[in-house]
Amino acid sequence: MMDLFLQTLANALIQSGTYALASSGLALAVGVLHIVNFAHGEFLMVGAFVAYWLSVLAGIDPIVSLVPAGAVMFAASGVIYQASIRRVLLAPELNALLLTFGIGITLQNLAVLVFGATPRVVHTAYQLTAVTLGPVSVGVAPLITLIVSVALLAGMYAVLYRTGVGKSIRAVAQNRTGAHLVGLDVDRIYLLTFGIASALAAIAGAMVLVRIGASPHMGFGFVLKAFAIIVMAGLGNLTGVLWASLVLATAEAFVRTYVPGGGGAAEAVFFLLIFFTLVWRSWRTA
Amino acid sequence: MNKLAVVLVVVALLAMGGTEGLAQREQVRIGISLPLTGPASASGKAAEAGYRLALDEINKAGGVLGRRLQVFIEDDGNLPAKGVPIFTKFVTVDRVHAITGIFGSAIGVSIVGPAKLHEPLIAMLGAASPLVERGFEGYKYLFHYHPWAYHNMEAVFNFMEFVRTGTGASTIAILYEDGPFGSAGIGDTRSELIKRGFDVPFMESFKTGSGDFTALLTRAKRHPVDVLFWIGFDADALPIAVQSREIGFKPRLIFGSPASWPVGYEGNPVARDVAGMAGWTSASPLPASKEFVKKYQAKFGSLSEEYMAPMGYTILTSLAAAMNKAGTTDKDRVTAELAKTDADTPVGRLRFKPSRLSPSVYQGFDSDLWMVFQFREGRRVPVWPKHVAAGPLAWRWR
Repeated sequence: MMDLFLQTLANALIQSGTYALASSGLALAVGVLHIVNFAHGEFLMVGAFVAYWLSVLAGIDPIVSLVPAGAVMFAASGVIYQASIRRVLLAPELNALLLTFGIGITLQNLAVLVFGATPRVVHTAYQLTAVTLGPVSVGVAPLITLIVSVALLAGMYAVLYRTGVGKSIRAVAQNRTGAHLVGLDVDRIYLLTFGIASALAAIAGAMVLVRIGASPHMGFGFVLKAFAIIVMAGLGNLTGVLWASLVLATAEAFVRTYVPGGGGAAEAVFFLLIFFTLVWRSWRTA
Repeated sequence: MNKLAVVLVVVALLAMGGTEGLAQREQVRIGISLPLTGPASASGKAAEAGYRLALDEINKAGGVLGRRLQVFIEDDGNLPAKGVPIFTKFVTVDRVHAITGIFGSAIGVSIVGPAKLHEPLIAMLGAASPLVERGFEGYKYLFHYHPWAYHNMEAVFNFMEFVRTGTGASTIAILYEDGPFGSAGIGDTRSELIKRGFDVPFMESFKTGSGDFTALLTRAKRHPVDVLFWIGFDADALPIAVQSREIGFKPRLIFGSPASWPVGYEGNPVARDVAGMAGWTSASPLPASKEFVKKYQAKFGSLSEEYMAPMGYTILTSLAAAMNKAGTTDKDRVTAELAKTDADTPVGRLRFKPSRLSPSVYQGFDSDLWMVFQFREGRRVPVWPKHVAAGPLAWRWR
């Protein structure tokens, strides 16, 4: 019984790394740009496909590919920002929401047209490797994802709180007009932030490729969970993303393990967490 | 003068249209509705390749009734909202002599009304749900080539019995996706397996595409399971195989039944000896299959492992043969000839018989269509039934 409990905890911890990686970019976009980016899941999908093709065509390991995947999405997001997002930043938030939803649908269908709808998988040496500690066994691939995730979040935290650029990003997030008045190039900071957020999504895509493959429809599930995580963490709260990811992953793992029929029901856990978080927040501030 | 010119131009245009219309009528026309985009596009594109291969072959051999065979291929996206207008267009605009394709059961059910209104000859590619079978009750012009869903399950049970008697396996864990594909009749599946001597200590649903199976597999691992049987989609194949390894869950056989498998899965070491069910594999030893593989490679330069490719090929060639034998495109006479079909095809012997739930429907293949393969050396090696097996069942998942 204790073995099952420990393995469930390990499963949750491992899964939280993937969730944190998928959510951190969205937290940045929402926190700084105040954009609910519905295309975030499709940016993740782009990253997975970049890593997939680099693996198939050049034999590059997906872990190494997270750098080019992030770079490709960083550049692509610059184009997307200049061509569309920038134009709705001052409009009511619904405009940006619908715009990013459209971008997401477009990317998804482009991927179906170009790559087909069938998932694509890669293989790596560590895909078959697991680390065993007593009764607990975890895969090396998700362990690496967890480590990368924590390292990236720590890196982002350091950039935001220890560098001039980070200070500028935080200033713009707090007060766009004030930041503009003190001479900050707000538009450029938005562009940079959107690029970093999109690159983080692509990196998450490259990381999950090893475990679940790449497919045009893979992003939607991640973006829903990422929304639950940033709602729990508090909109724009980067440091909260890690623990919120852990809460979601733990809740899902325990529902799957201990609730009869939990395999299907676990996918509804994030709805409940969003619901309870919002109710609790409104009750606290009432 | 101007009026005369206008009249002459109109007459000329009408004449051209009339000539074109005549030319169109001279051809034998078949409408093909396939999911060329969307989640089922892998199967749809494979079927399209099979139809095109057959079309080339038929026209090179002189066409149908000495006339060129023309096909109208439309993308229904596996959506009834597209499939029904396409079906109606085939009948009313293209005025085809027969309609084929129709992969998804949702479209199969949706076209029941238009079909009964226009009564075209239909050679159905997929649509395995018995709802389609029931819907077409009393219809005289439906040839359903693909096995029905209950045939598919019969094949699974027969294979499981083969595993039990051949290896002594006695316990099965079942993972099934919680949508209609995985959960329809899952209780009956469990009962049938128990009736056939298996113990099913673990059965759990999952959300397809969720990507996280570790918790479910952790629970399954607690039972001494010989076989892990999962019913889901291609997106679930890799996570199940990878995460089984990650948590140290090693059933002696992993058997999945998605309609298609991920690209690159067969070459992945994690897939080694994972078993799946297919209507056909390119390694099939049937002479007609070997011939098909040769022709397919000659035309496309590559090979499809999707069984919808030989199914599409089989449908069009049998339909053309029936028209030639009937000596006409008249649907009653073609129906009579098609019903007499007895031919070796790449997917096995094709003979039509009255469908089980709706005897007016002509049913082609049944549970005998299915074979079980295992991924080995980057290929799908048939291991069951005996007459198509190219190797033994590997009974210890490495």
